[in-house]
Order: sequence, then structure tokens, then C-alpha cells
Amino acid sequence: MRTLRLIGLGWLFQFKQMSRSSFDSFLAILWPIFFGTVAFFMFQQGGDPDALIYAGLGAAVMGIWTATSMAAGTSLQRERWLGTLELLVAAPQHFSLIILPVGLATSTIGVYCMVATILWGRLVFGIELTIEQPLLFALAIPATLLSVGALGFLIAVAFARYRHAWALGSMSEYPVWLICGFLVPLTLLPDWVRPISWLLAPTWGMNAIRDAATGAAPLADIAMCLLLGAAYVVIGVLVTDRVLHAARARASLSLT
Amino acid sequence: MTSLRIFFIGGITAYRGLINWLSPWIFVPSLIVVPIFQILLFVFIGRSAGVQNDEFFAIGNAVQYASVPCLFAMTNAIAGERNQQTLAYILVSPSPRLPLFLGRALPVILNAMFVAAFSLAVTALILRLDIPPSTWAPIAIVIVISTFSCTGLGLICAAVGLRVRETAVLNNVIFGLLLIFTGANVPIEELPGWMQTVANSIPLTHGIQAAREVAQGASLADVDRLLATEFLIGVVYTFVGYQALRFMEHWSRKRASIQIA
Amino acid sequence: MAVVEALDLHRTYRTSTGTLRRKWKNVEAVRGVSFEIQEGELFGLLGPNGAGKTTTIKMLITLLIPTKGTARVLGHDVVRDAREVRKNIGYVFGGERGVYERLSGYDNLRYFAELYGVPPKEIRPRIESLLQLVGLKGREQERTEGYSRGMKQRLHIARGLLHDPPVVFLDEPTIGLDPVGARELRATIASLADAGKTILLTTHYMFEADALCDRIAVINRGEIVAEGTPADLKRGVAEGTVVEVEVFGIPEQTVERVRELSGVVAVSVEEREQAQALIVQTQADVELTQSILGQLDGANVGRISRREPTLEDAYVSLVSAEE
Repeated sequence: MRTLRLIGLGWLFQFKQMSRSSFDSFLAILWPIFFGTVAFFMFQQGGDPDALIYAGLGAAVMGIWTATSMAAGTSLQRERWLGTLELLVAAPQHFSLIILPVGLATSTIGVYCMVATILWGRLVFGIELTIEQPLLFALAIPATLLSVGALGFLIAVAFARYRHAWALGSMSEYPVWLICGFLVPLTLLPDWVRPISWLLAPTWGMNAIRDAATGAAPLADIAMCLLLGAAYVVIGVLVTDRVLHAARARASLSLT
Repeated sequence: MTSLRIFFIGGITAYRGLINWLSPWIFVPSLIVVPIFQILLFVFIGRSAGVQNDEFFAIGNAVQYASVPCLFAMTNAIAGERNQQTLAYILVSPSPRLPLFLGRALPVILNAMFVAAFSLAVTALILRLDIPPSTWAPIAIVIVISTFSCTGLGLICAAVGLRVRETAVLNNVIFGLLLIFTGANVPIEELPGWMQTVANSIPLTHGIQAAREVAQGASLADVDRLLATEFLIGVVYTFVGYQALRFMEHWSRKRASIQIA
Repeated sequence: MAVVEALDLHRTYRTSTGTLRRKWKNVEAVRGVSFEIQEGELFGLLGPNGAGKTTTIKMLITLLIPTKGTARVLGHDVVRDAREVRKNIGYVFGGERGVYERLSGYDNLRYFAELYGVPPKEIRPRIESLLQLVGLKGREQERTEGYSRGMKQRLHIARGLLHDPPVVFLDEPTIGLDPVGARELRATIASLADAGKTILLTTHYMFEADALCDRIAVINRGEIVAEGTPADLKRGVAEGTVVEVEVFGIPEQTVERVRELSGVVAVSVEEREQAQALIVQTQADVELTQSILGQLDGANVGRISRREPTLEDAYVSLVSAEE
């Protein structure tokens, strides 16, 4: 119970702190729209209306990953600059419980993105998204947020140890867009990429959201999504102690 | 002769200062790995949408991504000078301005060239594109001219960046606009009229088109109009950027604004 | 049993220069620091900048792992039982950092209250009373980015006390504060000590250590050079006298020559308004005024006075004795 409160409160406060930083939110919203726009033009050119709708949904979810990958790494850097990272480590709660909300907050920022992209697609390109199963859709989105947030949490944990891990976060933006099926169906990718895609939560989240929108069955995807998210959390928690020990030995907690 | 020295040595020293600050951990991912993935991303989107071919996207994105060093390295170099408070010294130094700033531009251009060439080469290998060796030299020349032209844009952004606090946001927005407007992924002809006008007045558009034609076997003579336009755009943008920097200097002297210098 | 025990603590940092051809260097920040703090004591760690005070404190609050030696807080080892230690300590550092700027003061405290495991029912009343204690009542809903330095400092203290820890570590808490703010902060610290908390205070202000602390350890270059009550430390220099000579510009060689006079314990030069003060500590029963003036032959001299040594003099002599 206490754990849930801590995570929930952390989520709320980190989200507040991030939303009020204009740099993070503004760019996080705008960035995927650029790419979405290019993709929309391309699919428009291709002449397949279903493909355009497919891209519309995909582009909307891209933002969730952008927000997470950009902010997850930099969030710990920001804590370093603020001088609060040490305070977080010195607190009696397990560090992972403190960092997990950061990952969750970053993916929640991605919701701003989703809304912006859908509106943009609608207004500029006339992409009308119809949601066949609104309830399941409403379920698929938080599931995606949770699991993507958990992935962001893993990146953030790596960052406590390696000051430059945020580069890993920003470097992973394009690859995840590519192999998680946002704009490109997995069938078009080489076979050996498939297993990697399956290990990444965004793939299942995207599937779930698509299925809910088009009337297919998303429950299995949602389950897989949450399962992966849980796995990320477990790995992160196990790794946290070792990461922190290394950071304390190497005195890298307060280095800017 | 002194101008030449200022040009080379000043530029390289400033660039080294920048590199020392940037660790290889940032350098390698953002300039080597990321462009390759951008190319792959659009190649596959193109396949999914059923438009164009792989080579189209590879060349388009390789050149477009070269704008990253042009924009960011330039802005950081100028802003870095400002932060170290050496910008004031440079702006009031008795050395001729043009070689000074162009000297700072040279490493950026070389950097951008490398990014474009490397990412193109690697993806050509991965995707097994047919770009015959006879076209490599002409492609390289097209890339040089394109990156020069984009550096002009970088200079303008750097000047604006002296006034604006969030320079990274500005540069990312410009990058996004270049992605859309330069025909890197969508042929100019397919864009609405007003967008075509914009496209034809910014760097990289003509260069990308020329690069594509040259890769297909056209000679440099065939694309001379495109190259000339690209070069001209570069000159204009560089001139504007240079004037913008001088204006900033003048303004900061008038206003005694500590922010600039 | 001592509440805080430091046993032969060492901490070495590895720094590197250059990117391609890295050269590694070892910097010994703390070289064998040992001390004990009893329950309810206000213990001061006094030393110049770079002496190793912050490094020592960070080892005690589990943020750094010592390269050698051990430390225990309330019997728990700081490396192995870090979590137990963290439950029982409060950490306050001076300066502007360490707050979430876009959140209000109240939200900051709320967040940390949760982190420190304050029972939910007690969070609100605890925050209210702490805001009252540090004088931030009425400003807690504003974003901390708008707080003055003093206000941030006071918020830090409130934060450090949220879970009512028995041991409080204060790292240069009054640094950069204006005199009034600093005085108020010291009063708050004194009241914490009166309430029975065990406090470790690091500072480079000798008068602060003198006024607040029950016992002081003087640290310089990573080693403890003296330990005792303020009175003990003053006694170390009390036998001698201090001759203060007001001078208007004094060359370094003259200072050296004065230093070499027999019977001189320490010499320092202090900047005062328009002139400088040459402060000479002499051994007991030695009359050196004439010899000192003799060395100053040719220099412009103002007032001359003899006085008893203060803790400041003791500190200067301890710290400069290492040179």
C-alpha cells in the first residue's frame, strides 16, 4: 500500500515538474508531428486510405516513445543539476521506487503528444480515426503508458551509473519507431528483427491500441504489454542496487 | 596570409574546444548511428506506403541529416564562445571578420560532409543499393556544396540563438522543417504550391535533387543549374547570418547587454 | 555507545585529464579521519574549503563509499546497512540546489515526506509545524524557483526534519546567507540541539563553530589536526599572546622575516578596509613587539595592540601549521 502511494505520488509530482518545463513538453509534442507529417504525405502519395489511417494511429503513439526516451535519460540528469539526485539516493526508500515514477511520468507526457498528433492528422490531412471499441481503447492506452514508462525507468536506472546513458535514450528513438510497428508493419521487416520487436513493450502497446481501434481483439496484446512492463520493473529493481553501489563507489552521483 | 591562418587555426581551435566539451558518448550516437536509422526508418515507411525506392530515401535523408552538425555544432560553437565569454573578444578583435567566422564554419562543413557520406555509404551496403563508384566523386562534390549551403542556415540560427535561450528547441524545429520541406522524403512536386516555394528557397533542396540525379549516372554538368542555385542559396544565407551576428554585436554594444557578449 | 562513529575513514577520488590519451590521477580527499559523536552532542567539523568536510559527511550519510575504514550511525554500518542509516538521519546542505523548482515548497515537502516514510496521518501536521519552525508559513504554495536563497535554505532544514530523525547532518548550512538569515538559522540549529538531537555540523566559519558546538574537530587536507571543546582548542594557543600591527602594504619577504623570529608561533595577514593587519601569535612570556617593529622598519605602521588569542587564531595556527 505504502509502495503504491509512493509510486503514485512520485508520478504526480514528476509529471507536474515536467509539464511546467516548457522545453520538455513543447519539443516532445512537436517532434513526432514533424515525422508524422512526412509519413502522412508519403502515405497520401501512396494512395491507400487504410494505410493512411494506420499511419495516423502509429504517429500518435510515436509521441509516447519520444517523450519517454528523451525525458527518461535527461530526467536523472536534471535531478543531478537540481541537486536532488543525492537527496533521492539518501532517502530510505529503495531507489527504484523513486525512479519508476519518473519513467511513468515521462510516458504520461506522451499523452499530450498523442492528442496533438491526432488533431493534426485530422485537421491537416483529414485523417478520421474511428475507434470501434472505445472501452478497450481506453484500457490499451494506460497499459501502453505503464509498460513504456517501465522501459523508460530501465534507461533512467542505467543513467544513475553511466552519466552518458541519456545518449542511449535518444539514440533509441528511431530504432523503436522502426521496429515496433508504429508506421511500418512488422511483416515488412527482416525476420530476425521480429524477436527483438517482441521484447519491446511499445510493440504490444501499439498492437493493442490498433486492435481496439479497428475492432480486433486487443486483450492478449494488453496482457503481453503489462507482462513485459512487469519484467522491466523487476530487472530494473534488481539492477538498481548494483548501479547505486557503483555510483557511490565512483562518486558519480553529484557530478554534472 | 593572415586571413588564411585565422581561417584555419582559429576554426580548428574553436572546434577542439567544442569537442572537448562534447564527450565521444554523445558524438558517436548522434552523428554516426542515428542518421543510419533515420534512413532505414524512411526506407521502410516508403516500402510500406509503396512510394519511390530505397535509393531515393537513402540519399534524401543522408543529406538532410547532415544539417545536424551544421545547425547544432554552429550554434554551440557560437554559444560556447559566448558562455566562455570569448565571443566578445572575437567580435571586437581587429582581425578581419569574414575569415574568422568562415574558419569556424570549415570544421562544421567537414563534419557534416562526413556524416552524410558515411551514413549513405553504410546504408548503401546494408540495403545493397546500386551506386556505382564512378558516381562517388560527383556525389561528394554535391554533398560539399549542400553542406556549405546549410552551414549558412546554421550561422543564422546561431545568431538567433544568441538572443533566444532555448537554442536546442530552435534547432530541432529547423531540423524538422528541413525534413518536411527539402524533399528528403516527399518529392517537391507532390507538395502544395506554397510549400514548393518555400522548398526552393532553402538549403539542401536542390542539393538533394542533384545528388539523386548524379547517383543515377548524371554528370555534374547535367546538374549544374541545381548546384549553382544551391551554392547561391548558401552564399545568401551565409551573408545574412554574418550580418545577423554583426547586428547582434552592435546591438549588444548599444544596449550594454551582457547577454550577448 | 556513540551515535556516530567514524573509524579511519579514507576516500580517494580518481580524476582523469584528456579525452584520447587519458591520464589518471588519484586525489586523496580524506586521509584517515576518526571521531565519535555522543548522543545529544552538537559536533562541529571545522576546516577550510577543500579540507574534506563534505566528503566526510557524504560518507557518513551513505552517499559515498569509503575507500578504506568504516563508519557507523546508531550502530548501523553505513555501507552494509545503508537503508537503516537513512531512516534515522536528516541531511541538510547549504546553497541554492536541492529543490524541485517548478513545484511549490509544500509539494517539495510532501514528496520528501513520502520518501522518508512519514506515516500518512502525520504528514500534514508535521509539514505545518515545520513550516512554522523555519518561518516559511504563508509562502509554501509558491513555486520554489521564486524563493530567495535564505528561503531555500530554510526549506532544506524543514525537509531534513520531516521524519524527525535523531541524527541530523548539516553541511555548511549558513553559506551564502546574509547575517540576519544566518543568525536565525543558527538559532534554529541551537534549538534542535536543545531538543536532544545529535548534530554534525560542517562549517568554515570559526565563530559559528565556537558559538554552537559542544565539541569541534578541525580538519585540514583530509586529516583531523585537532579535536576538543572550543575551550580546549583556545587553550592550545592561550598561553601565548597575539600582537596585531596595522600596516599599509607589507611585502611578502617582511612577513617571512617576522615568521622566522624566534618565539613566533604563526603569522598571518588580514585585509581590513584601507589597510592590513599583521597578526603575530607569539609564545607565552615572550616580548616580541620591538623585534617585530624592527622587521617592519621602513613600512608605514598604524595601531599596535596586544590581545588574548581567540578561536580564530587557534584555527589559523592549526591550519597553517601544515604548510
